[in-house]
Amino acid sequence: MQEYSSQAAYDRGEAVCVIGAGAAGLIAVKNLRENGFEVDCYERDTVLGGLWNPENQHSPLYPNTHLVTSRSQTEIPDFPMPDDWPDYPSSAQMLDYLKRYAAHFGLAEHIWYGSEITHVEPVEGSRFEVVVKPAAGAAARRLRYGAVIIATGHHWEPNLPSYPGQELFRGTVLHSSQLGDGSRLRGKTVLVVGGGNSGIDIACEAAVSAAECVHSVRRGYWYLPKYLGGEPADYALARLRRRPRWLRGLLTDRLLKGHRELSARMGMEAPDHRHTDEEPVRNGRYLEHVGDGSIERRPDIARFDGGEAVFTDGTAVRPDVVVLATGYRPTIACCPPALLGAEGDSPYPKLHARMFSPRVETLAVAGLVEPGVGALPIVHWQTHAIAHWLHIRKGDPERAVNFRQQVVAESVQYAVESTGISPRHRLAVDAEEYLAGLGRIIDTLEQEPAK
Amino acid sequence: MSLQAWVRRTRAPEPAAVRREVTVVEPADLYDVDTTDDPDASPVLCCTGESVGAAAFAPLWLKRIAASGRHAAAVSVRGQGNTPAAPGGPDARAHDLVQAAIGLPRQAVLIGHGRGAAWAALAAARYPAAALVLVSPQGMPKRPQKPVGAPRVLLAVGEAETQSKEAQAVTEAYGVAPLTFPGTAEDVFKGPGAEELLDALLSWLGRKD
Repeated sequence: MQEYSSQAAYDRGEAVCVIGAGAAGLIAVKNLRENGFEVDCYERDTVLGGLWNPENQHSPLYPNTHLVTSRSQTEIPDFPMPDDWPDYPSSAQMLDYLKRYAAHFGLAEHIWYGSEITHVEPVEGSRFEVVVKPAAGAAARRLRYGAVIIATGHHWEPNLPSYPGQELFRGTVLHSSQLGDGSRLRGKTVLVVGGGNSGIDIACEAAVSAAECVHSVRRGYWYLPKYLGGEPADYALARLRRRPRWLRGLLTDRLLKGHRELSARMGMEAPDHRHTDEEPVRNGRYLEHVGDGSIERRPDIARFDGGEAVFTDGTAVRPDVVVLATGYRPTIACCPPALLGAEGDSPYPKLHARMFSPRVETLAVAGLVEPGVGALPIVHWQTHAIAHWLHIRKGDPERAVNFRQQVVAESVQYAVESTGISPRHRLAVDAEEYLAGLGRIIDTLEQEPAK
Repeated sequence: MSLQAWVRRTRAPEPAAVRREVTVVEPADLYDVDTTDDPDASPVLCCTGESVGAAAFAPLWLKRIAASGRHAAAVSVRGQGNTPAAPGGPDARAHDLVQAAIGLPRQAVLIGHGRGAAWAALAAARYPAAALVLVSPQGMPKRPQKPVGAPRVLLAVGEAETQSKEAQAVTEAYGVAPLTFPGTAEDVFKGPGAEELLDALLSWLGRKD
């Protein structure tokens, strides 16, 4: 960092640096403040709310984005959503909710907008020096913090596949994040690629507004409706967890049976994993659109041939617009991958309990999991644990050492291995196991110290 | 709130939503009193166990609290005042209280009176209140859950009740010494005793430590 060396770093003492003011960042700031920490939160954009804010210039929202998990399973545990909201709030309501959360707990005064953290470097043992680059004008600044929490999320860098002949294709090729409002689909022949939640939602959008919608999917997924047995699906399935194990399997099968048979009837490949292994696709309208022919299903794309897309089964279509709903790559650009335990060229960090850096005690990542349930509560409990840990570390170093050993042991003994099948699902964890692990960590932290 | 308590709660049916009556008096609403609106002061949310609900606080409490520069609100939980009755026990009433609290502009002080104190204590175990005030609590759980966010707790009991088992149990559970006011639980809404209590309460809230 030669270019900054002429200027001494400004020391913020024991303050904590939070990177990102999206949902995870806001929750981190609130929980840190609650534990008595000074917090500086840096947001590269000029608005809060991260991916939920359409004014964010990198926002990945697509037309009619709604939550795929229900309100009661998605709200922040200590700040519920208004109970007169629908079961599956829209992205606009989600943004409103995050703004209310920030206002309620007075978080805005701790956020520095238009400030990107370009580099994080450990100094003096467990402290950090960060480089803040303002969006415009002034030169980069260096500051020192007692701890850093990365809450940048993992829905920013599009994962873009490439197919033979794609460069000669004459139609429009877009990633789902570039779609904006749905007007580009109207009256066109649309090819949607990808069978995840965004792919399914966009296919349903195109089914009603486009002239023709063709949907290319590589493998079998779990297609769940948003309601099962008269209740929001995730709630209905979560409730079964209270039952004994043998009964649970039986009841889960019974709940999912009708839907599995419907998928088979639509000629879809049976999924090669359990429904909890990776995030299931939740959209009740999809199968109906396939059933009434407004969505045509196709296998993977083999190649592009002039204006045509040719599929692996030999059929072809001539699309005006190709929407790649192929997800995102998790990237943490601000921090050397080695600090987060990434091995070799893999972009996937290896963290203790999926949040603590294995290298430096005071570096943690919030929200880098795909638990298949609402992410906000998971992030709440993660940052609750992180904030408690930093608090104990400050007050009682001896206890902190014991705790550290326990977390390491915990993450080895109960290695929360990713259950995902494809590389895209490397962040997937079983919510039940992961929450149980978080619960054990929090219990250890909150135990009264032995006198 | 522990993680386990949250997991249990999300796997039980949510209480039915009701249209809640919330009475609000803001400092700017008071024409006859000279007040200074303090934007940093936490809003106050009151709840009583009596069936009139929010209306109990309207004549004296809300005005007096607003005059101290705070956003003052009172809620009628299900079955009280103008809020329709709906099924549910203390947990559902705590839910009503939390829902009213998240509708306030800032982190709120929860004041519970009578059985309302028990609901406020439940609410404080799942919403990080700015402070928790229990006035003549009744029907408190034997071992109240720890409030989240470690708020300051104040217990206020009438002179006649200081020796009651209820008051002593709460004193022990929260580790706070009770503040006593003249009279009994029935005297908190009007009369000179009530004003004295309110003043003591507001000065406790205003104390920075």
